[in-house]
Amino acid sequence: MEMSKVNADNRAVIEDLSISFPRPGDEDLLVVEAVSFTVGVGEFVAVVGPSGCGKSTILRVLSGLLSANGGTVLIDGQEVSQTPDHVGFMFQKDALLPWATIDENITIGAELGGVPLEDRPALVASLIDMLGLAGFEKAYPKNLSGGMRQRVSLGRLLAYQPTLMLMDEPFGALDYQTKIRMGRELLRIWEAERRSIIFVTHDIEEAIRLADRIVVFSARPARVAAEYIVNLSRPRNLSEMRGNAEFNRLTHAIWSDLSMPT
Amino acid sequence: MASVDKVTPMPPGRVRLGSIMPLSSVAARRLILFFALVAAWEFTAEFLVNEFWSSRPSEIVMRLFSMLVDGTLWRHTSITVLEAFAGLLLGAVVGTPLGIWLANAPKASETADPFIMGLYGLPRVALAPLFILWFGIGLLSKIMMSFTMVVFVFLLNSREGVRTVDPDLVDLMRSMRAKSLYRARKVLIPAIVPWILASFRLGIGLSLIGAVVGELVGSSRGLGWYIQNAGGMLDTTGVFTGLVVLMVIAMLANQMIALVEARVLRWR
Ligand SMILES: Nc1ncnc2c1ncn2[C@@H]1O[C@H](COP(=O)(O)OP(=O)(O)OP(=O)(O)O)[C@@H](O)[C@H]1O
Ligand SMILES: [Mg+2]
Repeated sequence: MEMSKVNADNRAVIEDLSISFPRPGDEDLLVVEAVSFTVGVGEFVAVVGPSGCGKSTILRVLSGLLSANGGTVLIDGQEVSQTPDHVGFMFQKDALLPWATIDENITIGAELGGVPLEDRPALVASLIDMLGLAGFEKAYPKNLSGGMRQRVSLGRLLAYQPTLMLMDEPFGALDYQTKIRMGRELLRIWEAERRSIIFVTHDIEEAIRLADRIVVFSARPARVAAEYIVNLSRPRNLSEMRGNAEFNRLTHAIWSDLSMPT
Repeated sequence: MASVDKVTPMPPGRVRLGSIMPLSSVAARRLILFFALVAAWEFTAEFLVNEFWSSRPSEIVMRLFSMLVDGTLWRHTSITVLEAFAGLLLGAVVGTPLGIWLANAPKASETADPFIMGLYGLPRVALAPLFILWFGIGLLSKIMMSFTMVVFVFLLNSREGVRTVDPDLVDLMRSMRAKSLYRARKVLIPAIVPWILASFRLGIGLSLIGAVVGELVGSSRGLGWYIQNAGGMLDTTGVFTGLVVLMVIAMLANQMIALVEARVLRWR
Protein backbone atom coordinates (compact mmCIF):
# COMPACT_ATOMS: atom_id res chain seq x y z
CA MET A 1 0.00 0.00 0.00
CA GLU A 2 1.32 3.38 -0.94
CA MET A 3 1.61 6.22 1.57
CA SER A 4 -1.64 7.72 2.67
CA LYS A 5 -2.82 10.46 0.40
CA VAL A 6 -3.96 12.64 3.30
CA ASN A 7 -3.05 16.23 2.70
CA ALA A 8 -4.36 19.66 3.58
CA ASP A 9 -6.13 20.04 0.27
CA ASN A 10 -8.37 17.07 0.79
CA ARG A 11 -11.90 17.58 1.91
CA ALA A 12 -12.59 13.86 2.12
CA VAL A 13 -10.30 10.88 2.17
CA ILE A 14 -11.66 7.38 1.81
CA GLU A 15 -9.11 4.69 2.36
CA ASP A 16 -9.38 0.95 2.11
CA LEU A 17 -13.06 1.18 2.87
CA SER A 18 -15.02 -2.02 3.16
CA ILE A 19 -18.67 -2.46 4.01
CA SER A 20 -20.77 -5.58 4.35
CA PHE A 21 -24.30 -6.26 5.46
CA PRO A 22 -25.26 -9.19 7.67
CA ARG A 23 -27.68 -11.60 6.08
CA PRO A 24 -29.74 -13.91 8.27
CA GLY A 25 -28.81 -17.53 7.65
CA ASP A 26 -26.11 -16.66 5.16
CA GLU A 27 -22.67 -15.17 5.09
CA ASP A 28 -22.40 -11.37 5.10
CA LEU A 29 -23.04 -9.56 1.86
CA LEU A 30 -19.85 -7.76 0.89
CA VAL A 31 -20.90 -4.53 -0.78
CA VAL A 32 -17.78 -2.38 -0.79
CA GLU A 33 -14.26 -3.80 -0.89
CA ALA A 34 -11.05 -1.85 -0.34
CA VAL A 35 -12.24 1.37 -1.92
CA SER A 36 -9.91 4.36 -1.77
CA PHE A 37 -10.35 7.79 -3.30
CA THR A 38 -10.10 11.40 -2.28
CA VAL A 39 -12.05 14.57 -2.85
CA GLY A 40 -10.11 17.82 -2.86
CA VAL A 41 -11.33 21.12 -1.52
CA GLY A 42 -13.48 22.65 -4.22
CA GLU A 43 -13.27 19.52 -6.32
CA PHE A 44 -16.16 18.03 -8.24
CA VAL A 45 -15.92 14.24 -8.29
CA ALA A 46 -18.40 12.16 -10.21
CA VAL A 47 -18.98 8.54 -9.32
CA VAL A 48 -20.31 6.02 -11.80
CA GLY A 49 -20.87 2.33 -11.39
CA PRO A 50 -23.37 -0.43 -12.10
CA SER A 51 -26.67 -0.42 -10.25
CA GLY A 52 -26.48 -2.10 -6.87
CA CYS A 53 -22.69 -1.87 -6.64
CA GLY A 54 -22.67 0.15 -3.43
CA LYS A 55 -22.53 3.83 -4.39
CA SER A 56 -25.34 4.92 -2.12
CA THR A 57 -23.88 2.83 0.65
CA ILE A 58 -20.54 4.65 0.42
CA LEU A 59 -22.32 7.99 0.63
CA ARG A 60 -24.16 6.81 3.72
CA VAL A 61 -20.85 6.05 5.36
CA LEU A 62 -19.45 9.43 4.37
CA SER A 63 -22.41 11.16 5.97
CA GLY A 64 -22.06 9.17 9.15
CA LEU A 65 -25.39 7.37 8.76
CA LEU A 66 -23.72 3.99 8.48
CA SER A 67 -20.51 2.72 9.97
CA ALA A 68 -18.02 0.84 7.85
CA ASN A 69 -16.56 -2.56 8.62
CA GLY A 70 -13.03 -1.58 7.71
CA GLY A 71 -10.88 1.24 6.44
CA THR A 72 -10.89 4.91 7.26
CA VAL A 73 -13.02 7.83 6.22
CA LEU A 74 -11.66 11.27 6.98
CA ILE A 75 -13.49 14.51 6.44
CA ASP A 76 -11.30 17.58 6.95
CA GLY A 77 -8.78 15.25 8.51
CA GLN A 78 -11.27 14.05 11.12
CA GLU A 79 -12.36 10.45 11.29
CA VAL A 80 -16.10 10.22 10.66
CA SER A 81 -17.79 8.73 13.69
CA GLN A 82 -21.02 10.67 13.69
CA THR A 83 -22.54 12.96 11.10
CA PRO A 84 -19.93 15.56 10.19
CA ASP A 85 -20.66 19.26 10.12
CA HIS A 86 -21.69 20.88 6.84
CA VAL A 87 -21.79 17.69 4.88
CA GLY A 88 -25.04 17.74 2.97
CA PHE A 89 -26.60 14.58 1.60
CA MET A 90 -29.13 14.54 -1.19
CA PHE A 91 -30.72 11.12 -1.15
CA GLN A 92 -31.56 9.08 -4.21
CA LYS A 93 -35.17 9.22 -3.02
CA ASP A 94 -36.38 12.77 -2.48
CA ALA A 95 -37.21 12.23 1.22
CA LEU A 96 -39.39 15.33 1.48
CA LEU A 97 -41.56 15.75 4.54
CA PRO A 98 -45.05 15.05 3.14
CA TRP A 99 -46.70 17.30 5.74
CA ALA A 100 -44.53 20.29 4.96
CA THR A 101 -45.04 22.65 2.05
CA ILE A 102 -42.31 23.19 -0.53
CA ASP A 103 -41.37 26.39 1.25
CA GLU A 104 -41.15 24.64 4.59
CA ASN A 105 -39.20 21.70 3.20
CA ILE A 106 -36.50 23.97 1.84
CA THR A 107 -36.55 26.14 4.94
CA ILE A 108 -35.65 23.10 7.04
CA GLY A 109 -32.34 22.97 5.19
CA ALA A 110 -31.68 26.64 5.90
CA GLU A 111 -32.68 26.25 9.52
CA LEU A 112 -30.44 23.25 10.17
CA GLY A 113 -27.66 24.82 8.14
CA GLY A 114 -27.60 27.72 10.57
CA VAL A 115 -28.90 30.41 8.23
CA PRO A 116 -30.13 33.29 10.45
CA LEU A 117 -33.88 33.48 10.79
CA GLU A 118 -34.21 36.80 8.99
CA ASP A 119 -32.23 35.60 5.98
CA ARG A 120 -34.19 32.41 5.43
CA PRO A 121 -37.20 33.69 3.49
CA ALA A 122 -35.07 35.49 0.91
CA LEU A 123 -32.74 32.52 0.52
CA VAL A 124 -35.61 30.08 0.11
CA ALA A 125 -37.38 32.36 -2.36
CA SER A 126 -34.27 32.70 -4.51
CA LEU A 127 -33.72 28.93 -4.49
CA ILE A 128 -37.33 28.27 -5.47
CA ASP A 129 -36.91 30.71 -8.30
CA MET A 130 -33.66 29.18 -9.46
CA LEU A 131 -35.14 25.69 -9.40
CA GLY A 132 -38.12 26.74 -11.50
CA LEU A 133 -40.59 26.01 -8.73
CA ALA A 134 -42.15 29.47 -8.47
CA GLY A 135 -45.87 29.25 -7.79
CA PHE A 136 -45.53 26.00 -5.84
CA GLU A 137 -44.28 27.49 -2.57
CA LYS A 138 -47.41 26.51 -0.67
CA ALA A 139 -47.98 23.19 -2.41
CA TYR A 140 -47.44 19.87 -0.66
CA PRO A 141 -45.07 17.25 -2.08
CA LYS A 142 -47.92 14.95 -3.14
CA ASN A 143 -48.99 17.57 -5.65
CA LEU A 144 -45.59 17.66 -7.35
CA SER A 145 -44.13 15.50 -10.07
CA GLY A 146 -41.13 13.31 -9.35
CA GLY A 147 -38.78 15.71 -11.07
CA MET A 148 -40.17 18.67 -9.16
CA ARG A 149 -39.77 16.84 -5.88
CA GLN A 150 -36.19 16.10 -6.78
CA ARG A 151 -35.59 19.79 -7.37
CA VAL A 152 -37.11 20.63 -3.98
CA SER A 153 -34.75 18.14 -2.44
CA LEU A 154 -31.87 19.88 -4.25
CA GLY A 155 -33.14 23.19 -2.89
CA ARG A 156 -33.09 21.83 0.64
CA LEU A 157 -29.53 20.60 0.16
CA LEU A 158 -28.36 23.97 -1.13
CA ALA A 159 -30.20 25.82 1.65
CA TYR A 160 -28.25 23.73 4.14
CA GLN A 161 -25.05 25.42 2.85
CA PRO A 162 -22.92 22.29 2.86
CA THR A 163 -19.26 22.60 2.01
CA LEU A 164 -19.21 18.95 0.96
CA MET A 165 -22.22 17.87 -1.04
CA LEU A 166 -23.03 14.19 -1.38
CA MET A 167 -25.42 13.91 -4.30
CA ASP A 168 -26.99 10.56 -5.08
CA GLU A 169 -28.31 10.66 -8.65
CA PRO A 170 -29.66 14.15 -8.04
CA PHE A 171 -30.97 14.66 -11.56
CA GLY A 172 -32.13 11.11 -12.20
CA ALA A 173 -35.80 12.06 -12.44
CA LEU A 174 -35.37 15.09 -14.69
CA ASP A 175 -35.90 15.49 -18.40
CA TYR A 176 -32.86 16.22 -20.53
CA GLN A 177 -33.30 19.99 -20.75
CA THR A 178 -34.00 20.48 -17.06
CA LYS A 179 -31.06 18.24 -16.26
CA ILE A 180 -28.75 20.47 -18.30
CA ARG A 181 -30.13 23.62 -16.69
CA MET A 182 -29.86 22.24 -13.15
CA GLY A 183 -26.33 21.07 -13.87
CA ARG A 184 -25.41 24.57 -14.98
CA GLU A 185 -26.90 26.09 -11.82
CA LEU A 186 -25.08 23.57 -9.69
CA LEU A 187 -21.77 24.43 -11.38
CA ARG A 188 -22.43 28.12 -10.88
CA ILE A 189 -22.94 27.65 -7.13
CA TRP A 190 -20.04 25.25 -6.89
CA GLU A 191 -17.66 27.66 -8.65
CA ALA A 192 -18.81 30.66 -6.64
CA GLU A 193 -18.42 28.99 -3.28
CA ARG A 194 -15.66 26.46 -3.80
CA ARG A 195 -17.69 23.61 -2.46
CA SER A 196 -16.69 19.99 -2.85
CA ILE A 197 -19.07 17.59 -4.52
CA ILE A 198 -19.41 13.84 -4.82
CA PHE A 199 -21.93 13.28 -7.55
CA VAL A 200 -23.30 9.81 -8.25
CA THR A 201 -24.76 9.35 -11.70
CA HIS A 202 -25.53 6.71 -14.31
CA ASP A 203 -25.15 9.25 -17.08
CA ILE A 204 -21.57 9.17 -18.43
CA GLU A 205 -22.03 12.30 -20.47
CA GLU A 206 -23.33 14.14 -17.42
CA ALA A 207 -20.34 13.01 -15.39
CA ILE A 208 -17.92 14.34 -18.03
CA ARG A 209 -19.85 17.56 -18.45
CA LEU A 210 -19.80 18.37 -14.73
CA ALA A 211 -16.86 16.75 -12.99
CA ASP A 212 -13.16 17.43 -12.49
CA ARG A 213 -12.57 13.78 -11.88
CA ILE A 214 -14.53 10.60 -12.40
CA VAL A 215 -14.28 7.51 -10.23
CA VAL A 216 -15.60 4.34 -11.84
CA PHE A 217 -16.72 1.49 -9.63
CA SER A 218 -16.89 -2.17 -10.52
CA ALA A 219 -20.01 -4.25 -9.96
CA ARG A 220 -20.65 -5.39 -6.43
CA PRO A 221 -18.57 -5.56 -4.36
CA ALA A 222 -17.60 -2.03 -5.39
CA ARG A 223 -13.92 -1.54 -6.10
CA VAL A 224 -12.39 1.43 -7.85
CA ALA A 225 -12.15 0.15 -11.40
CA ALA A 226 -10.65 3.34 -12.83
CA GLU A 227 -10.20 7.03 -12.20
CA TYR A 228 -10.13 9.74 -14.85
CA ILE A 229 -9.23 13.39 -14.73
CA VAL A 230 -11.51 15.35 -17.02
CA ASN A 231 -9.19 17.60 -19.00
CA LEU A 232 -11.82 19.80 -20.56
CA SER A 233 -11.84 23.55 -20.03
CA ARG A 234 -14.82 25.18 -18.39
CA PRO A 235 -17.41 26.35 -19.17
CA ARG A 236 -18.08 23.16 -21.05
CA ASN A 237 -20.38 23.61 -23.92
CA LEU A 238 -22.25 20.48 -24.76
CA SER A 239 -22.21 20.73 -28.54
CA GLU A 240 -18.51 21.66 -28.64
CA MET A 241 -17.74 18.92 -26.17
CA ARG A 242 -19.33 16.23 -28.29
CA GLY A 243 -16.84 16.74 -31.09
CA ASN A 244 -13.89 16.89 -28.71
CA ALA A 245 -11.37 14.03 -28.84
CA GLU A 246 -10.87 14.04 -25.06
CA PHE A 247 -14.60 13.78 -24.52
CA ASN A 248 -14.83 10.83 -26.85
CA ARG A 249 -11.81 9.15 -25.32
CA LEU A 250 -13.31 9.45 -21.82
CA THR A 251 -16.74 8.31 -22.89
CA HIS A 252 -15.34 5.21 -24.53
CA ALA A 253 -12.99 4.43 -21.68
CA ILE A 254 -15.70 4.68 -19.02
CA TRP A 255 -18.12 2.81 -21.24
CA SER A 256 -15.75 -0.10 -21.58
CA ASP A 257 -14.90 -0.03 -17.84
CA LEU A 258 -18.60 -0.39 -17.07
CA SER A 259 -19.15 -3.11 -19.62
CA MET A 260 -16.30 -5.18 -18.27
CA PRO A 261 -17.40 -8.53 -16.84
CA THR A 262 -16.39 -9.05 -13.22
CA MET B 1 -67.61 -1.11 -36.74
CA ALA B 2 -68.44 -2.70 -33.45
CA SER B 3 -65.05 -2.02 -31.98
CA VAL B 4 -65.48 1.73 -32.47
CA ASP B 5 -68.64 1.73 -30.37
CA LYS B 6 -66.79 0.07 -27.56
CA VAL B 7 -64.27 2.88 -27.31
CA THR B 8 -66.98 5.47 -26.51
CA PRO B 9 -66.01 6.49 -22.98
CA MET B 10 -69.46 6.68 -21.44
CA PRO B 11 -72.96 6.62 -22.87
CA PRO B 12 -74.34 10.19 -22.86
CA GLY B 13 -77.38 9.15 -20.84
CA ARG B 14 -75.22 8.08 -17.92
CA VAL B 15 -73.24 11.28 -17.84
CA ARG B 16 -76.38 13.33 -17.35
CA LEU B 17 -77.93 11.11 -14.72
CA GLY B 18 -75.83 12.30 -11.80
CA SER B 19 -76.32 15.97 -12.50
CA ILE B 20 -80.10 15.80 -12.77
CA MET B 21 -80.81 13.78 -9.65
CA PRO B 22 -80.53 15.51 -6.27
CA LEU B 23 -79.09 12.16 -5.14
CA SER B 24 -75.72 13.40 -6.26
CA SER B 25 -75.20 15.24 -2.97
CA VAL B 26 -74.24 13.15 0.04
CA ALA B 27 -76.31 15.30 2.35
CA ALA B 28 -79.42 14.71 0.26
CA ARG B 29 -78.88 10.96 0.19
CA ARG B 30 -78.33 10.86 3.95
CA LEU B 31 -81.47 12.84 4.59
CA ILE B 32 -83.47 10.48 2.41
CA LEU B 33 -82.09 7.45 4.22
CA PHE B 34 -82.88 9.06 7.58
CA PHE B 35 -86.49 9.80 6.70
CA ALA B 36 -86.95 6.38 5.16
CA LEU B 37 -85.79 4.69 8.36
CA VAL B 38 -87.92 6.92 10.56
CA ALA B 39 -90.95 6.35 8.36
CA ALA B 40 -90.40 2.59 8.40
CA TRP B 41 -90.17 2.64 12.17
CA GLU B 42 -93.28 4.75 12.54
CA PHE B 43 -95.11 2.47 10.10
CA THR B 44 -94.06 -0.64 11.99
CA ALA B 45 -95.31 0.80 15.26
CA GLU B 46 -98.57 1.83 13.65
CA PHE B 47 -99.44 -1.41 11.90
CA LEU B 48 -97.10 -4.28 12.76
CA VAL B 49 -95.62 -4.30 16.26
CA ASN B 50 -97.14 -2.95 19.41
CA GLU B 51 -95.32 0.26 20.26
CA PHE B 52 -94.83 -1.08 23.76
CA TRP B 53 -91.93 -3.14 22.39
CA SER B 54 -90.08 -0.69 20.21
CA SER B 55 -91.69 2.73 20.76
CA ARG B 56 -91.98 5.06 17.78
CA PRO B 57 -90.17 8.14 16.48
CA SER B 58 -93.00 10.57 17.19
CA GLU B 59 -93.10 9.45 20.83
CA ILE B 60 -89.36 9.85 21.11
CA VAL B 61 -89.45 13.35 19.70
CA MET B 62 -92.14 14.30 22.17
CA ARG B 63 -90.14 12.81 25.03
CA LEU B 64 -87.04 14.66 23.93
CA PHE B 65 -88.98 17.88 23.90
CA SER B 66 -90.39 17.41 27.39
CA MET B 67 -86.95 16.42 28.71
CA LEU B 68 -85.49 19.50 27.14
CA VAL B 69 -88.09 21.70 28.80
CA ASP B 70 -87.82 20.23 32.29
CA GLY B 71 -84.01 20.18 32.18
CA THR B 72 -83.56 16.41 32.54
CA LEU B 73 -82.05 16.17 29.07
CA TRP B 74 -79.20 18.49 29.97
CA ARG B 75 -78.86 16.95 33.44
CA HIS B 76 -78.20 13.46 32.08
CA THR B 77 -76.49 14.33 28.84
CA SER B 78 -73.97 16.73 30.35
CA ILE B 79 -72.73 14.24 32.90
CA THR B 80 -72.35 11.39 30.40
CA VAL B 81 -70.53 13.61 27.92
CA LEU B 82 -68.25 14.87 30.66
CA GLU B 83 -67.38 11.33 31.78
CA ALA B 84 -66.76 10.08 28.28
CA PHE B 85 -64.78 13.13 27.24
CA ALA B 86 -62.58 13.10 30.34
CA GLY B 87 -61.92 9.38 29.88
CA LEU B 88 -61.13 9.88 26.20
CA LEU B 89 -58.72 12.72 26.92
CA LEU B 90 -57.04 10.85 29.73
CA GLY B 91 -56.69 7.83 27.44
CA ALA B 92 -55.02 9.99 24.80
CA VAL B 93 -52.70 11.69 27.27
CA VAL B 94 -51.60 8.40 28.82
CA GLY B 95 -51.80 6.06 25.82
CA THR B 96 -50.00 8.14 23.21
CA PRO B 97 -46.72 8.74 25.08
CA LEU B 98 -46.74 5.11 26.21
CA GLY B 99 -47.13 3.97 22.61
CA ILE B 100 -44.33 6.26 21.43
CA TRP B 101 -42.10 5.03 24.19
CA LEU B 102 -42.82 1.36 23.44
CA ALA B 103 -42.06 1.92 19.75
CA ASN B 104 -38.66 3.27 20.73
CA ALA B 105 -38.00 0.55 23.28
CA PRO B 106 -38.37 -2.70 21.31
CA LYS B 107 -37.24 -4.85 24.24
CA ALA B 108 -39.83 -3.41 26.60
CA SER B 109 -42.45 -3.57 23.88
CA GLU B 110 -41.69 -7.20 23.12
CA THR B 111 -41.83 -8.10 26.79
CA ALA B 112 -45.09 -6.31 27.47
CA ASP B 113 -46.85 -7.26 24.25
CA PRO B 114 -48.76 -10.37 25.37
CA PHE B 115 -49.92 -8.59 28.49
CA ILE B 116 -51.04 -5.53 26.56
CA MET B 117 -52.93 -7.70 24.12
CA GLY B 118 -54.43 -9.69 27.00
CA LEU B 119 -55.73 -6.56 28.67
CA TYR B 120 -56.87 -5.19 25.34
CA GLY B 121 -58.80 -8.36 24.60
CA LEU B 122 -60.38 -8.46 28.04
CA PRO B 123 -64.05 -7.41 27.96
CA ARG B 124 -63.38 -4.35 30.04
CA VAL B 125 -67.04 -3.66 30.67
CA ALA B 126 -66.78 -6.48 33.18
CA LEU B 127 -64.55 -4.23 35.25
CA ALA B 128 -67.44 -1.90 36.05
CA PRO B 129 -68.48 -3.48 39.38
CA LEU B 130 -64.87 -3.44 40.49
CA PHE B 131 -64.42 0.19 39.52
CA ILE B 132 -67.58 1.20 41.41
CA LEU B 133 -66.06 -0.51 44.41
CA TRP B 134 -62.71 1.18 43.96
CA PHE B 135 -63.67 4.64 42.81
CA GLY B 136 -67.17 5.06 44.20
CA ILE B 137 -70.43 5.74 42.40
CA GLY B 138 -69.41 9.27 41.44
CA LEU B 139 -67.74 10.68 38.37
CA LEU B 140 -64.36 9.03 38.83
CA SER B 141 -65.49 5.43 38.35
CA LYS B 142 -67.08 6.32 34.99
CA ILE B 143 -64.08 8.30 33.84
CA MET B 144 -61.90 5.33 34.67
CA MET B 145 -64.26 3.04 32.80
CA SER B 146 -64.04 5.07 29.62
CA PHE B 147 -60.32 5.48 30.14
CA THR B 148 -59.77 1.72 30.20
CA MET B 149 -61.89 1.40 27.09
CA VAL B 150 -59.84 3.84 25.04
CA VAL B 151 -56.29 3.85 26.39
CA PHE B 152 -55.26 0.77 24.43
CA VAL B 153 -56.50 2.25 21.21
CA PHE B 154 -54.21 5.23 21.67
CA LEU B 155 -51.32 3.08 22.81
CA LEU B 156 -51.49 0.58 19.96
CA ASN B 157 -52.14 3.18 17.29
CA SER B 158 -49.36 5.54 18.29
CA ARG B 159 -46.95 2.63 18.59
CA GLU B 160 -47.85 1.52 15.09
CA GLY B 161 -47.64 5.12 13.89
CA VAL B 162 -44.08 5.51 15.13
CA ARG B 163 -43.09 2.18 13.62
CA THR B 164 -44.28 3.23 10.20
CA VAL B 165 -42.35 6.52 10.13
CA ASP B 166 -40.33 6.56 6.91
CA PRO B 167 -36.75 5.76 8.01
CA ASP B 168 -35.44 7.91 5.16
CA LEU B 169 -36.95 10.98 6.78
CA VAL B 170 -35.20 10.19 10.03
CA ASP B 171 -31.91 9.57 8.19
CA LEU B 172 -32.31 12.82 6.33
CA MET B 173 -32.75 14.69 9.59
CA ARG B 174 -29.72 12.94 11.03
CA SER B 175 -27.67 13.79 7.95
CA MET B 176 -28.35 17.45 8.73
CA ARG B 177 -27.46 16.95 12.38
CA ALA B 178 -30.97 17.73 13.62
CA LYS B 179 -31.35 17.40 17.39
CA SER B 180 -33.80 14.80 18.65
CA LEU B 181 -36.29 17.42 19.79
CA TYR B 182 -36.26 18.97 16.33
CA ARG B 183 -36.67 15.54 14.73
CA ALA B 184 -39.64 14.86 16.99
CA ARG B 185 -41.23 18.17 16.05
CA LYS B 186 -40.69 17.84 12.31
CA VAL B 187 -40.99 14.09 11.71
CA LEU B 188 -42.32 12.04 14.58
CA ILE B 189 -45.25 14.16 15.68
CA PRO B 190 -46.61 15.03 12.23
CA ALA B 191 -46.28 11.37 11.28
CA ILE B 192 -48.41 10.12 14.15
CA VAL B 193 -51.06 12.86 14.11
CA PRO B 194 -53.22 10.87 11.64
CA TRP B 195 -52.97 7.84 13.92
CA ILE B 196 -53.98 9.90 16.95
CA LEU B 197 -56.96 11.36 15.12
CA ALA B 198 -57.99 7.87 14.03
CA SER B 199 -57.75 6.82 17.69
CA PHE B 200 -60.07 9.64 18.63
CA ARG B 201 -62.56 8.47 16.03
CA LEU B 202 -62.53 4.93 17.40
CA GLY B 203 -62.38 6.21 20.96
CA ILE B 204 -65.60 8.24 20.81
CA GLY B 205 -67.86 5.20 20.75
CA LEU B 206 -65.70 3.26 23.18
CA SER B 207 -65.55 6.06 25.72
CA LEU B 208 -69.33 6.40 25.61
CA ILE B 209 -69.65 2.66 26.20
CA GLY B 210 -67.35 2.97 29.20
CA ALA B 211 -69.31 5.85 30.70
CA VAL B 212 -72.72 4.29 30.09
CA VAL B 213 -71.73 0.88 31.44
CA GLY B 214 -70.37 2.59 34.54
CA GLU B 215 -73.69 4.38 34.95
CA LEU B 216 -75.67 1.20 34.42
CA VAL B 217 -73.85 -0.46 37.27
CA GLY B 218 -74.02 2.31 39.79
CA SER B 219 -75.04 5.93 39.55
CA SER B 220 -77.87 8.37 40.03
CA ARG B 221 -77.41 10.47 36.89
CA GLY B 222 -76.44 10.19 33.26
CA LEU B 223 -77.90 8.67 30.13
CA GLY B 224 -76.92 5.19 31.23
CA TRP B 225 -78.81 5.65 34.44
CA TYR B 226 -81.76 7.14 32.55
CA ILE B 227 -81.91 4.16 30.19
CA GLN B 228 -81.61 1.72 33.07
CA ASN B 229 -84.31 3.50 35.01
CA ALA B 230 -86.66 3.68 32.03
CA GLY B 231 -86.11 0.00 31.31
CA GLY B 232 -87.00 -0.87 34.90
CA MET B 233 -90.30 0.94 34.44
CA LEU B 234 -91.01 -0.78 31.10
CA ASP B 235 -90.75 2.66 29.49
CA THR B 236 -89.42 1.70 26.06
CA THR B 237 -89.77 5.25 24.80
CA GLY B 238 -87.41 6.34 27.59
CA VAL B 239 -84.90 3.65 26.63
CA PHE B 240 -84.97 4.61 22.97
CA THR B 241 -84.76 8.30 23.79
CA GLY B 242 -81.58 7.68 25.77
CA LEU B 243 -80.15 5.64 22.92
CA VAL B 244 -81.00 8.30 20.37
CA VAL B 245 -79.27 10.96 22.43
CA LEU B 246 -76.17 8.78 22.74
CA MET B 247 -76.16 8.22 19.01
CA VAL B 248 -76.44 11.93 18.28
CA ILE B 249 -73.54 12.65 20.66
CA ALA B 250 -71.37 10.09 18.87
CA MET B 251 -72.30 11.49 15.48
CA LEU B 252 -71.57 15.09 16.47
CA ALA B 253 -68.24 14.15 18.06
CA ASN B 254 -67.30 12.19 14.96
CA GLN B 255 -68.16 15.17 12.80
CA MET B 256 -65.90 17.35 14.93
CA ILE B 257 -62.99 14.99 14.44
CA ALA B 258 -63.68 15.00 10.71
CA LEU B 259 -63.43 18.80 10.71
CA VAL B 260 -60.14 18.69 12.58
CA GLU B 261 -58.83 16.07 10.15
CA ALA B 262 -59.77 18.17 7.16
CA ARG B 263 -57.79 21.07 8.57
CA VAL B 264 -54.78 19.24 9.97
CA LEU B 265 -54.31 16.56 7.32
CA ARG B 266 -54.44 18.78 4.26
CA TRP B 267 -51.09 17.37 3.16
CA ARG B 268 -52.56 13.90 2.58
N1 LIG C 1 -29.48 -1.69 4.73
C1 LIG C 1 -29.08 -2.67 3.90
N2 LIG C 1 -29.14 -3.95 4.32
C2 LIG C 1 -28.75 -4.96 3.51
N3 LIG C 1 -28.29 -4.79 2.28
C3 LIG C 1 -28.21 -3.55 1.80
C4 LIG C 1 -28.62 -2.41 2.58
N4 LIG C 1 -28.42 -1.31 1.85
C5 LIG C 1 -27.94 -1.72 0.67
N5 LIG C 1 -27.79 -3.06 0.62
C6 LIG C 1 -27.25 -3.83 -0.50
O1 LIG C 1 -26.05 -3.23 -0.87
C7 LIG C 1 -25.91 -3.23 -2.27
C8 LIG C 1 -25.55 -1.86 -2.75
O2 LIG C 1 -26.61 -0.98 -2.53
P1 LIG C 1 -26.52 0.54 -2.94
O3 LIG C 1 -27.85 1.15 -2.61
O4 LIG C 1 -25.34 1.15 -2.31
O5 LIG C 1 -26.32 0.46 -4.51
P2 LIG C 1 -26.13 1.63 -5.58
O6 LIG C 1 -24.78 1.49 -6.15
O7 LIG C 1 -26.47 2.92 -4.96
O8 LIG C 1 -27.19 1.23 -6.66
P3 LIG C 1 -28.11 2.14 -7.59
O9 LIG C 1 -27.25 2.69 -8.65
O10 LIG C 1 -29.11 1.18 -8.13
O11 LIG C 1 -28.70 3.19 -6.70
C9 LIG C 1 -27.19 -3.77 -2.84
O12 LIG C 1 -26.95 -5.08 -3.28
C10 LIG C 1 -28.16 -3.76 -1.69
O13 LIG C 1 -28.98 -4.89 -1.76
MG1 LIG D 1 -27.97 4.18 -5.16
